[in-house]
Amino acid sequence: MESEILKVHNALIAKNISCADLIADKISAIRNSSNNTANFILDDVALEMALAVDSKIKNDEEIGFLEGVPFGLKDVYLLQGCNASGSSKFLKDYISPYTATAIKKLMDAGAIPVVKENCDCFGHGSTSENTFFGPVKNALDENLVAGGSSGGSAVNVAKGFTAFSIGGDTGGSIRQPAAFNKVYGLKPTYGRISRFGIMAYASSTDCVGPIAKSLEDIRIITNAMSGKDIHDSTTTDSIPIPESIFCDKIADNEFCLGYYKSFFANENIDQGIKQNFEGMISKIRKKGITVKELEFFDTNILVSTYYVLAMAETASNLARLDGTTYGERILGEGIKDDRAISRSENFTEETKRRIVGGTQVLSHGYSHGIYTKARFLLREIQRKFQSDFSEVNLVISPVTPNPTPRMGESLKDPLLMYLSDAYTVGFSLGGLPTLTCPFGQGVQVTADKNNEALVLKFAHFLKSII
Amino acid sequence: MSKIMPLEVLASIKNAKPSKSVEELFDVIKTAFPDFSKDIPEEINEVNIITVENLRNDVVAESTNKEKNLIRNNFPREKNGFLVVSKVIEG
Repeated sequence: MESEILKVHNALIAKNISCADLIADKISAIRNSSNNTANFILDDVALEMALAVDSKIKNDEEIGFLEGVPFGLKDVYLLQGCNASGSSKFLKDYISPYTATAIKKLMDAGAIPVVKENCDCFGHGSTSENTFFGPVKNALDENLVAGGSSGGSAVNVAKGFTAFSIGGDTGGSIRQPAAFNKVYGLKPTYGRISRFGIMAYASSTDCVGPIAKSLEDIRIITNAMSGKDIHDSTTTDSIPIPESIFCDKIADNEFCLGYYKSFFANENIDQGIKQNFEGMISKIRKKGITVKELEFFDTNILVSTYYVLAMAETASNLARLDGTTYGERILGEGIKDDRAISRSENFTEETKRRIVGGTQVLSHGYSHGIYTKARFLLREIQRKFQSDFSEVNLVISPVTPNPTPRMGESLKDPLLMYLSDAYTVGFSLGGLPTLTCPFGQGVQVTADKNNEALVLKFAHFLKSII
Repeated sequence: MSKIMPLEVLASIKNAKPSKSVEELFDVIKTAFPDFSKDIPEEINEVNIITVENLRNDVVAESTNKEKNLIRNNFPREKNGFLVVSKVIEG
Protein backbone atom coordinates (compact mmCIF):
# COMPACT_ATOMS: atom_id res chain seq x y z
CA MET A 1 0.00 0.00 0.00
CA GLU A 2 1.18 3.50 -0.84
CA SER A 3 2.73 5.63 1.88
CA GLU A 4 0.07 7.81 3.52
CA ILE A 5 2.79 10.24 4.57
CA LEU A 6 3.96 10.63 0.98
CA LYS A 7 0.36 11.01 -0.23
CA VAL A 8 -0.32 13.85 2.24
CA HIS A 9 3.04 15.49 1.53
CA ASN A 10 2.45 15.46 -2.23
CA ALA A 11 -1.11 16.77 -1.87
CA LEU A 12 0.09 19.67 0.31
CA ILE A 13 2.97 20.76 -1.90
CA ALA A 14 0.80 20.45 -5.02
CA LYS A 15 -1.71 22.69 -3.17
CA ASN A 16 -4.50 20.19 -3.85
CA ILE A 17 -5.70 20.78 -0.31
CA SER A 18 -4.75 23.20 2.45
CA CYS A 19 -3.35 21.73 5.62
CA ALA A 20 -6.12 23.41 7.67
CA ASP A 21 -8.80 21.75 5.50
CA LEU A 22 -7.04 18.40 5.67
CA ILE A 23 -6.89 18.54 9.48
CA ALA A 24 -10.51 19.72 9.71
CA ASP A 25 -11.60 16.79 7.47
CA LYS A 26 -9.76 14.25 9.64
CA ILE A 27 -11.15 15.68 12.87
CA SER A 28 -14.66 15.71 11.45
CA ALA A 29 -14.32 12.06 10.35
CA ILE A 30 -13.14 11.02 13.84
CA ARG A 31 -15.91 13.00 15.53
CA ASN A 32 -18.63 11.50 13.32
CA SER A 33 -17.34 7.94 13.48
CA SER A 34 -19.20 5.24 15.40
CA ASN A 35 -15.95 3.39 16.25
CA ASN A 36 -15.38 5.42 19.44
CA THR A 37 -11.65 5.86 18.86
CA ALA A 38 -11.22 9.31 20.41
CA ASN A 39 -10.89 10.26 24.06
CA PHE A 40 -9.91 13.84 23.26
CA ILE A 41 -9.76 15.67 19.95
CA LEU A 42 -6.94 18.19 19.69
CA ASP A 43 -8.67 20.90 17.64
CA ASP A 44 -6.70 23.89 18.93
CA VAL A 45 -3.19 22.42 18.78
CA ALA A 46 -3.84 20.84 15.37
CA LEU A 47 -5.36 23.89 13.75
CA GLU A 48 -2.58 26.20 14.98
CA MET A 49 0.08 23.87 13.56
CA ALA A 50 -1.86 23.46 10.29
CA LEU A 51 -2.09 27.21 9.75
CA ALA A 52 1.68 27.50 10.22
CA VAL A 53 2.23 24.82 7.55
CA ASP A 54 -0.19 26.60 5.18
CA SER A 55 1.68 29.83 5.71
CA LYS A 56 4.98 28.18 4.73
CA ILE A 57 3.43 26.64 1.62
CA LYS A 58 1.86 29.98 0.66
CA ASN A 59 5.29 31.62 0.94
CA ASP A 60 6.82 28.85 -1.21
CA GLU A 61 8.98 27.67 1.65
CA GLU A 62 10.10 24.06 1.59
CA ILE A 63 8.24 21.75 3.99
CA GLY A 64 9.61 18.60 5.58
CA PHE A 65 8.31 15.14 4.81
CA LEU A 66 6.27 14.90 8.02
CA GLU A 67 5.14 18.53 8.07
CA GLY A 68 1.36 18.81 8.09
CA VAL A 69 0.81 15.04 8.37
CA PRO A 70 -2.02 14.24 10.85
CA PHE A 71 -1.34 11.57 13.42
CA GLY A 72 -2.98 10.08 16.49
CA LEU A 73 -1.48 9.16 19.83
CA LYS A 74 -2.70 6.60 22.30
CA ASP A 75 -4.10 8.36 25.35
CA VAL A 76 -1.23 7.22 27.53
CA TYR A 77 1.17 9.80 26.06
CA LEU A 78 1.67 13.21 27.57
CA LEU A 79 1.26 16.25 25.34
CA GLN A 80 1.77 19.53 27.17
CA GLY A 81 -1.46 21.38 27.92
CA CYS A 82 -3.69 18.53 26.66
CA ASN A 83 -5.65 15.85 28.50
CA ALA A 84 -3.95 12.53 29.25
CA SER A 85 -6.30 10.07 30.90
CA GLY A 86 -4.85 6.62 30.17
CA SER A 87 -8.54 5.93 29.38
CA SER A 88 -9.15 5.97 33.13
CA LYS A 89 -11.75 7.63 35.31
CA PHE A 90 -8.94 8.50 37.72
CA LEU A 91 -7.22 10.84 35.25
CA LYS A 92 -10.17 11.95 33.14
CA ASP A 93 -9.42 15.63 33.91
CA TYR A 94 -5.61 15.40 34.09
CA ILE A 95 -3.67 17.86 31.92
CA SER A 96 -0.13 16.98 30.82
CA PRO A 97 2.54 19.31 32.17
CA TYR A 98 5.10 18.28 29.52
CA THR A 99 5.35 16.36 26.24
CA ALA A 100 6.59 12.79 25.72
CA THR A 101 9.93 12.63 23.89
CA ALA A 102 8.65 10.43 21.03
CA ILE A 103 5.70 12.76 20.41
CA LYS A 104 7.90 15.85 20.65
CA LYS A 105 10.25 14.44 18.01
CA LEU A 106 7.34 13.90 15.61
CA MET A 107 5.97 17.39 16.28
CA ASP A 108 9.43 18.92 15.85
CA ALA A 109 9.45 17.27 12.42
CA GLY A 110 6.10 18.97 11.72
CA ALA A 111 3.64 16.08 12.17
CA ILE A 112 0.32 17.26 13.62
CA PRO A 113 -1.36 15.46 16.55
CA VAL A 114 -5.12 15.38 16.03
CA VAL A 115 -6.46 12.91 18.56
CA LYS A 116 -5.74 11.23 21.91
CA GLU A 117 -6.86 7.70 21.19
CA ASN A 118 -9.08 5.39 23.21
CA CYS A 119 -7.38 2.28 24.60
CA ASP A 120 -7.59 -0.18 27.45
CA CYS A 121 -7.21 1.65 30.75
CA PHE A 122 -3.44 2.04 31.50
CA GLY A 123 -2.83 -0.62 28.80
CA HIS A 124 -4.64 -3.27 30.87
CA GLY A 125 -6.45 -5.29 28.25
CA SER A 126 -6.42 -6.96 24.86
CA THR A 127 -9.71 -5.67 23.43
CA SER A 128 -9.99 -1.90 24.17
CA GLU A 129 -13.17 -2.59 26.14
CA ASN A 130 -11.60 -1.88 29.54
CA THR A 131 -11.93 1.89 29.17
CA PHE A 132 -13.81 4.70 30.91
CA PHE A 133 -14.66 6.12 27.48
CA GLY A 134 -16.61 3.09 26.23
CA PRO A 135 -15.39 0.23 24.02
CA VAL A 136 -13.66 0.82 20.71
CA LYS A 137 -15.26 -0.93 17.73
CA ASN A 138 -13.26 -2.78 15.09
CA ALA A 139 -12.60 -0.93 11.82
CA LEU A 140 -13.72 -3.86 9.64
CA ASP A 141 -16.71 -5.11 11.62
CA GLU A 142 -18.19 -3.09 14.48
CA ASN A 143 -19.48 -6.26 16.15
CA LEU A 144 -15.89 -7.28 16.78
CA VAL A 145 -13.40 -5.85 19.26
CA ALA A 146 -10.71 -3.44 18.12
CA GLY A 147 -7.99 -5.38 19.91
CA GLY A 148 -5.85 -3.83 22.54
CA SER A 149 -4.63 -2.13 24.24
CA SER A 150 -3.88 0.33 21.39
CA GLY A 151 -7.29 -0.35 19.79
CA GLY A 152 -8.27 3.25 19.02
CA SER A 153 -4.92 3.83 17.32
CA ALA A 154 -5.21 0.79 15.03
CA VAL A 155 -8.81 1.61 14.09
CA ASN A 156 -7.97 5.24 13.29
CA VAL A 157 -5.22 4.15 10.92
CA ALA A 158 -7.37 1.45 9.28
CA LYS A 159 -10.24 3.91 8.75
CA GLY A 160 -7.89 6.59 7.37
CA PHE A 161 -8.70 9.03 10.20
CA THR A 162 -4.98 9.46 10.87
CA ALA A 163 -2.04 8.98 8.48
CA PHE A 164 -0.38 7.01 11.26
CA SER A 165 -0.78 6.55 14.99
CA ILE A 166 1.56 5.98 17.90
CA GLY A 167 0.63 3.04 20.09
CA GLY A 168 2.28 1.51 23.11
CA ASP A 169 3.23 -2.17 23.32
CA THR A 170 3.99 -3.97 26.60
CA GLY A 171 2.89 -7.51 25.74
CA GLY A 172 1.38 -7.14 22.26
CA SER A 173 -0.67 -3.95 22.51
CA ILE A 174 0.44 -2.60 19.13
CA ARG A 175 0.78 -5.90 17.26
CA GLN A 176 -2.52 -7.52 18.18
CA PRO A 177 -4.86 -4.58 17.34
CA ALA A 178 -2.83 -4.02 14.16
CA ALA A 179 -3.67 -7.62 13.17
CA PHE A 180 -7.36 -7.28 14.12
CA ASN A 181 -7.71 -4.15 11.95
CA LYS A 182 -5.39 -5.27 9.12
CA VAL A 183 -2.66 -2.64 9.35
CA TYR A 184 1.06 -2.75 10.15
CA GLY A 185 2.25 -2.30 13.74
CA LEU A 186 5.83 -2.34 15.00
CA LYS A 187 7.08 -3.05 18.49
CA PRO A 188 10.68 -1.87 18.17
CA THR A 189 13.68 -3.15 20.09
CA TYR A 190 13.31 -2.29 23.78
CA GLY A 191 15.16 0.99 24.29
CA ARG A 192 15.17 2.13 20.66
CA ILE A 193 12.50 4.77 21.33
CA SER A 194 12.27 6.80 24.54
CA ARG A 195 9.47 6.00 26.96
CA PHE A 196 9.72 9.38 28.68
CA GLY A 197 6.22 10.83 28.91
CA ILE A 198 4.29 7.57 28.47
CA MET A 199 2.25 6.34 31.43
CA ALA A 200 4.23 3.36 32.70
CA TYR A 201 2.55 -0.04 32.70
CA ALA A 202 5.38 -2.60 32.96
CA SER A 203 8.60 -0.66 32.61
CA SER A 204 10.81 -3.61 31.61
CA THR A 205 8.80 -4.32 28.44
CA ASP A 206 6.99 -1.02 27.66
CA CYS A 207 7.75 0.12 24.09
CA VAL A 208 6.63 3.04 21.93
CA GLY A 209 5.84 2.12 18.33
CA PRO A 210 4.06 3.12 15.12
CA ILE A 211 0.90 1.78 13.50
CA ALA A 212 0.53 2.56 9.78
CA LYS A 213 -0.86 1.30 6.48
CA SER A 214 2.49 0.89 4.75
CA LEU A 215 5.97 -0.40 5.53
CA GLU A 216 7.48 2.84 4.24
CA ASP A 217 5.49 4.82 6.82
CA ILE A 218 6.58 2.45 9.59
CA ARG A 219 10.18 3.06 8.51
CA ILE A 220 9.86 6.86 8.41
CA ILE A 221 8.10 7.14 11.78
CA THR A 222 10.42 4.70 13.55
CA ASN A 223 13.44 6.65 12.35
CA ALA A 224 11.89 9.95 13.44
CA MET A 225 11.25 8.73 17.00
CA SER A 226 14.40 6.66 17.64
CA GLY A 227 17.46 7.68 19.62
CA LYS A 228 19.01 8.12 22.99
CA ASP A 229 17.15 10.30 25.47
CA ILE A 230 18.62 11.70 28.66
CA HIS A 231 15.20 11.30 30.31
CA ASP A 232 15.10 7.53 29.69
CA SER A 233 18.27 5.73 30.69
CA THR A 234 17.19 2.52 28.93
CA THR A 235 17.40 4.19 25.51
CA THR A 236 20.18 3.26 23.12
CA ASP A 237 21.69 4.71 19.98
CA SER A 238 20.34 3.15 16.81
CA ILE A 239 21.13 3.19 13.12
CA PRO A 240 18.38 4.68 10.92
CA ILE A 241 16.57 2.14 8.73
CA PRO A 242 17.58 2.94 5.14
CA GLU A 243 15.03 3.29 2.35
CA SER A 244 17.14 0.93 0.24
CA ILE A 245 15.91 -2.10 2.24
CA PHE A 246 12.82 -2.20 0.04
CA CYS A 247 14.97 -2.66 -3.07
CA ASP A 248 17.38 -5.29 -1.76
CA LYS A 249 16.86 -8.97 -2.57
CA ILE A 250 15.95 -11.13 0.40
CA ALA A 251 16.71 -14.69 -0.60
CA ASP A 252 20.21 -16.03 -0.60
CA ASN A 253 21.78 -19.26 0.50
CA GLU A 254 22.74 -17.97 3.92
CA PHE A 255 19.30 -16.69 4.88
CA CYS A 256 17.32 -18.88 7.24
CA LEU A 257 13.88 -18.37 8.70
CA GLY A 258 12.56 -20.02 11.86
CA TYR A 259 9.19 -20.68 13.47
CA TYR A 260 8.26 -22.06 16.87
CA LYS A 261 6.73 -25.52 16.86
CA SER A 262 5.40 -25.07 20.41
CA PHE A 263 3.07 -22.31 19.20
CA PHE A 264 1.17 -24.98 17.28
CA ALA A 265 1.14 -27.48 20.14
CA ASN A 266 -1.40 -25.14 21.72
CA GLU A 267 -4.63 -27.13 21.49
CA ASN A 268 -6.70 -23.94 21.43
CA ILE A 269 -5.24 -22.63 18.17
CA ASP A 270 -7.84 -21.93 15.51
CA GLN A 271 -7.46 -24.40 12.63
CA GLY A 272 -7.92 -21.66 10.01
CA ILE A 273 -5.05 -19.63 11.48
CA LYS A 274 -2.88 -22.75 11.63
CA GLN A 275 -3.60 -23.69 8.01
CA ASN A 276 -3.00 -20.15 6.74
CA PHE A 277 0.34 -20.07 8.52
CA GLU A 278 1.38 -23.46 7.14
CA GLY A 279 0.36 -22.29 3.66
CA MET A 280 2.56 -19.22 4.03
CA ILE A 281 5.54 -21.33 5.17
CA SER A 282 5.06 -23.48 2.10
CA LYS A 283 5.07 -20.41 -0.20
CA ILE A 284 8.24 -19.11 1.46
CA ARG A 285 9.98 -22.48 1.00
CA LYS A 286 9.01 -22.49 -2.68
CA LYS A 287 10.98 -19.24 -3.05
CA GLY A 288 14.11 -21.14 -2.05
CA ILE A 289 14.28 -19.90 1.54
CA THR A 290 15.32 -22.35 4.25
CA VAL A 291 12.69 -22.57 6.98
CA LYS A 292 13.64 -24.20 10.24
CA GLU A 293 11.36 -25.55 12.97
CA LEU A 294 12.50 -24.38 16.43
CA GLU A 295 11.76 -25.59 19.94
CA PHE A 296 10.52 -23.02 22.45
CA PHE A 297 8.87 -22.65 25.82
CA ASP A 298 5.31 -23.76 26.35
CA THR A 299 2.99 -20.83 25.60
CA ASN A 300 1.40 -21.08 29.07
CA ILE A 301 4.83 -20.45 30.61
CA LEU A 302 5.34 -17.42 28.36
CA VAL A 303 1.96 -15.95 29.28
CA SER A 304 2.37 -16.63 33.00
CA THR A 305 5.93 -15.25 33.14
CA TYR A 306 4.82 -12.12 31.34
CA TYR A 307 1.77 -11.51 33.51
CA VAL A 308 3.59 -12.13 36.79
CA LEU A 309 6.23 -9.55 35.89
CA ALA A 310 3.76 -7.10 34.29
CA MET A 311 1.40 -7.25 37.27
CA ALA A 312 4.27 -6.74 39.74
CA GLU A 313 5.48 -3.72 37.79
CA THR A 314 2.05 -2.19 37.29
CA ALA A 315 1.27 -2.57 41.01
CA SER A 316 4.44 -0.59 41.66
CA ASN A 317 3.94 1.97 38.87
CA LEU A 318 0.31 2.68 39.74
CA ALA A 319 1.08 3.14 43.44
CA ARG A 320 1.60 6.81 42.52
CA LEU A 321 -2.09 7.09 41.67
CA ASP A 322 -3.72 7.90 44.98
CA GLY A 323 -5.53 11.19 44.41
CA THR A 324 -2.99 13.15 46.45
CA THR A 325 -1.14 15.29 43.92
CA TYR A 326 -3.28 14.64 40.82
CA GLY A 327 -6.24 12.57 39.71
CA GLU A 328 -9.63 12.33 41.32
CA ARG A 329 -9.55 12.37 45.13
CA ILE A 330 -12.45 10.91 47.10
CA LEU A 331 -12.44 11.87 50.76
CA GLY A 332 -12.65 9.26 53.51
CA GLU A 333 -11.58 9.23 57.11
CA GLY A 334 -7.95 10.34 56.89
CA ILE A 335 -5.17 10.02 54.35
CA LYS A 336 -5.01 6.21 54.21
CA ASP A 337 -8.74 5.96 53.75
CA ASP A 338 -8.76 8.75 51.12
CA ARG A 339 -6.13 6.84 49.21
CA ALA A 340 -7.90 3.47 49.43
CA ILE A 341 -11.31 4.87 48.49
CA SER A 342 -9.89 6.96 45.62
CA ARG A 343 -8.15 3.89 44.19
CA SER A 344 -11.07 1.51 44.75
CA GLU A 345 -13.62 3.81 43.12
CA ASN A 346 -11.48 5.00 40.23
CA PHE A 347 -9.71 1.86 38.99
CA THR A 348 -11.58 -0.61 36.78
CA GLU A 349 -12.05 -4.24 37.86
CA GLU A 350 -9.31 -5.37 35.44
CA THR A 351 -6.83 -2.79 36.71
CA LYS A 352 -7.59 -3.75 40.31
CA ARG A 353 -7.15 -7.44 39.42
CA ARG A 354 -3.67 -6.69 38.04
CA ILE A 355 -2.64 -4.44 40.95
CA VAL A 356 -3.80 -7.04 43.49
CA GLY A 357 -2.04 -9.84 41.55
CA GLY A 358 1.15 -7.77 41.41
CA THR A 359 0.93 -6.98 45.11
CA GLN A 360 0.53 -10.70 45.86
CA VAL A 361 3.62 -11.77 43.90
CA LEU A 362 5.76 -9.13 45.57
CA SER A 363 4.67 -10.13 49.07
CA HIS A 364 6.07 -12.60 51.56
CA GLY A 365 5.23 -16.20 50.71
CA TYR A 366 4.89 -15.49 46.99
CA SER A 367 7.95 -13.49 46.01
CA HIS A 368 10.49 -16.32 45.77
CA GLY A 369 8.25 -19.05 44.39
CA ILE A 370 6.56 -16.84 41.82
CA TYR A 371 8.16 -13.43 41.21
CA THR A 372 11.82 -14.46 41.48
CA LYS A 373 11.10 -17.60 39.49
CA ALA A 374 9.44 -15.51 36.78
CA ARG A 375 12.58 -13.31 36.69
CA PHE A 376 14.64 -16.48 36.32
CA LEU A 377 12.38 -17.69 33.49
CA LEU A 378 12.72 -14.30 31.80
CA ARG A 379 16.49 -14.74 31.72
CA GLU A 380 16.07 -18.28 30.32
CA ILE A 381 13.71 -16.99 27.62
CA GLN A 382 16.18 -14.27 26.65
CA ARG A 383 19.01 -16.82 26.51
CA LYS A 384 16.91 -19.05 24.25
CA PHE A 385 16.31 -16.13 21.87
CA GLN A 386 20.05 -15.40 21.80
CA SER A 387 20.72 -18.99 20.87
CA ASP A 388 17.93 -19.09 18.24
CA PHE A 389 19.15 -15.95 16.49
CA SER A 390 22.57 -17.52 16.09
CA GLU A 391 20.82 -20.21 14.01
CA VAL A 392 18.18 -18.23 12.10
CA ASN A 393 17.91 -14.66 10.80
CA LEU A 394 14.25 -14.17 11.55
CA VAL A 395 11.34 -15.87 13.29
CA ILE A 396 7.78 -15.70 11.98
CA SER A 397 4.60 -16.54 13.83
CA PRO A 398 0.88 -15.86 13.92
CA VAL A 399 -0.17 -12.90 16.08
CA THR A 400 -2.99 -14.59 18.01
CA PRO A 401 -4.17 -18.18 18.40
CA ASN A 402 -7.79 -17.22 17.66
CA PRO A 403 -9.73 -14.91 15.35
CA THR A 404 -10.90 -11.46 16.49
CA PRO A 405 -13.39 -11.89 19.38
CA ARG A 406 -16.87 -10.45 19.35
CA MET A 407 -17.58 -7.46 21.61
CA GLY A 408 -18.18 -8.49 25.23
CA GLU A 409 -16.80 -12.05 24.96
CA SER A 410 -13.37 -11.45 26.53
CA LEU A 411 -14.60 -9.41 29.50
CA LYS A 412 -16.41 -12.48 30.79
CA ASP A 413 -13.24 -14.56 31.08
CA PRO A 414 -10.02 -12.74 32.11
CA LEU A 415 -7.92 -15.92 31.90
CA LEU A 416 -8.99 -16.45 28.29
CA MET A 417 -7.98 -12.86 27.54
CA TYR A 418 -4.55 -13.38 29.12
CA LEU A 419 -4.03 -16.59 27.14
CA SER A 420 -4.89 -14.82 23.88
CA ASP A 421 -1.53 -13.02 24.25
CA ALA A 422 0.31 -16.35 23.89
CA TYR A 423 2.17 -15.44 20.67
CA THR A 424 3.04 -11.82 21.43
CA VAL A 425 4.32 -11.77 25.03
CA GLY A 426 7.43 -13.91 24.40
CA PHE A 427 8.92 -11.35 21.99
CA SER A 428 8.15 -8.59 24.53
CA LEU A 429 10.08 -10.49 27.20
CA GLY A 430 12.93 -10.82 24.71
CA GLY A 431 12.91 -7.06 23.99
CA LEU A 432 12.98 -7.97 20.30
CA PRO A 433 11.79 -5.94 17.29
CA THR A 434 8.56 -7.51 16.05
CA LEU A 435 6.28 -6.34 13.28
CA THR A 436 2.69 -7.33 12.63
CA CYS A 437 1.94 -7.62 8.91
CA PRO A 438 -1.73 -7.52 7.85
CA PHE A 439 -1.69 -10.80 5.94
CA GLY A 440 -4.52 -13.20 6.80
CA GLN A 441 -5.22 -12.92 10.55
CA GLY A 442 -1.81 -11.27 10.92
CA VAL A 443 1.78 -12.47 10.80
CA GLN A 444 4.58 -11.42 13.16
CA VAL A 445 8.12 -11.03 11.88
CA THR A 446 10.80 -10.93 14.60
CA ALA A 447 14.55 -10.35 14.45
CA ASP A 448 17.37 -10.12 16.94
CA LYS A 449 17.69 -6.82 18.82
CA ASN A 450 18.31 -3.67 16.75
CA ASN A 451 17.55 -5.41 13.47
CA GLU A 452 14.37 -3.54 12.50
CA ALA A 453 15.79 -3.09 8.98
CA LEU A 454 15.78 -6.85 8.35
CA VAL A 455 12.24 -7.15 9.77
CA LEU A 456 10.89 -4.53 7.35
CA LYS A 457 12.89 -5.91 4.44
CA PHE A 458 11.47 -9.40 4.94
CA ALA A 459 7.94 -8.05 5.46
CA HIS A 460 8.28 -6.31 2.09
CA PHE A 461 9.33 -9.60 0.51
CA LEU A 462 6.49 -11.49 2.24
CA LYS A 463 3.97 -9.00 0.89
CA SER A 464 5.19 -9.70 -2.62
CA ILE A 465 4.57 -13.45 -2.35
CA ILE A 466 1.27 -13.51 -0.40
CA MET B 1 0.99 -4.64 65.32
CA SER B 2 0.87 -7.77 63.20
CA LYS B 3 3.77 -8.20 60.77
CA ILE B 4 1.44 -9.69 58.18
CA MET B 5 -0.44 -6.96 56.35
CA PRO B 6 -3.60 -7.91 54.49
CA LEU B 7 -3.75 -7.56 50.70
CA GLU B 8 -6.31 -4.79 51.08
CA VAL B 9 -3.76 -2.65 52.94
CA LEU B 10 -0.78 -3.57 50.76
CA ALA B 11 -2.62 -2.77 47.52
CA SER B 12 -4.55 0.12 49.07
CA ILE B 13 -7.72 -1.19 47.48
CA LYS B 14 -10.86 -1.82 49.52
CA ASN B 15 -11.90 -5.50 49.81
CA ALA B 16 -8.94 -6.61 47.66
CA LYS B 17 -9.11 -10.36 47.10
CA PRO B 18 -7.00 -12.77 45.04
CA SER B 19 -8.44 -13.54 41.59
CA LYS B 20 -8.98 -17.13 40.49
CA SER B 21 -7.83 -16.31 36.93
CA VAL B 22 -4.61 -14.75 38.19
CA GLU B 23 -4.00 -17.64 40.62
CA GLU B 24 -4.12 -20.00 37.63
CA LEU B 25 -1.26 -18.03 36.03
CA PHE B 26 0.70 -18.29 39.30
CA ASP B 27 0.16 -22.07 39.36
CA VAL B 28 1.90 -22.39 35.99
CA ILE B 29 4.99 -20.62 37.37
CA LYS B 30 4.93 -22.64 40.60
CA THR B 31 5.07 -25.94 38.70
CA ALA B 32 7.52 -24.83 35.98
CA PHE B 33 11.19 -25.75 36.49
CA PRO B 34 10.83 -27.92 39.62
CA ASP B 35 14.64 -27.80 40.07
CA PHE B 36 14.54 -24.04 40.66
CA SER B 37 16.93 -23.36 43.54
CA LYS B 38 15.90 -21.84 46.84
CA ASP B 39 18.87 -19.50 46.51
CA ILE B 40 18.18 -16.50 44.32
CA PRO B 41 20.26 -17.05 41.17
CA GLU B 42 22.63 -14.19 40.32
CA GLU B 43 21.73 -14.22 36.63
CA ILE B 44 18.24 -12.84 37.19
CA ASN B 45 19.92 -9.50 37.72
CA GLU B 46 21.55 -9.65 34.29
CA VAL B 47 18.33 -8.50 32.61
CA ASN B 48 17.98 -4.85 31.55
CA ILE B 49 21.19 -3.67 33.18
CA ILE B 50 21.95 0.04 32.92
CA THR B 51 25.58 0.96 33.38
CA VAL B 52 26.45 3.77 35.78
CA GLU B 53 27.81 5.98 32.98
CA ASN B 54 24.41 5.79 31.27
CA LEU B 55 22.59 7.27 34.24
CA ARG B 56 21.85 10.97 34.08
CA ASN B 57 23.33 13.31 36.65
CA ASP B 58 21.34 13.66 39.83
CA VAL B 59 20.64 17.37 39.55
CA VAL B 60 17.55 19.47 40.12
CA ALA B 61 16.05 20.69 36.84
CA GLU B 62 13.90 23.77 37.19
CA SER B 63 10.48 23.43 35.54
CA THR B 64 9.18 26.23 33.37
CA ASN B 65 6.40 28.44 34.72
CA LYS B 66 4.02 26.81 32.24
CA GLU B 67 4.86 23.37 33.64
CA LYS B 68 4.51 24.59 37.22
CA ASN B 69 1.08 26.07 36.49
CA LEU B 70 -0.09 22.89 34.80
CA ILE B 71 1.10 20.83 37.76
CA ARG B 72 -0.77 23.17 40.17
CA ASN B 73 -3.90 22.97 38.04
CA ASN B 74 -3.84 19.19 38.42
CA PHE B 75 -4.00 19.40 42.24
CA PRO B 76 -7.17 17.62 43.37
CA ARG B 77 -7.54 20.23 46.13
CA GLU B 78 -5.78 23.56 46.12
CA LYS B 79 -5.66 26.54 48.47
CA ASN B 80 -3.69 29.73 47.80
CA GLY B 81 -1.48 27.92 45.30
CA PHE B 82 -0.69 25.08 47.72
CA LEU B 83 -1.69 21.43 47.55
CA VAL B 84 -4.18 20.52 50.26
CA VAL B 85 -3.68 17.09 51.80
CA SER B 86 -5.46 15.27 54.59
CA LYS B 87 -3.78 15.34 57.96
CA VAL B 88 -0.64 13.23 57.59
CA ILE B 89 0.06 12.49 61.25
CA GLU B 90 -2.70 10.29 62.54
CA GLY B 91 -3.45 9.35 66.12
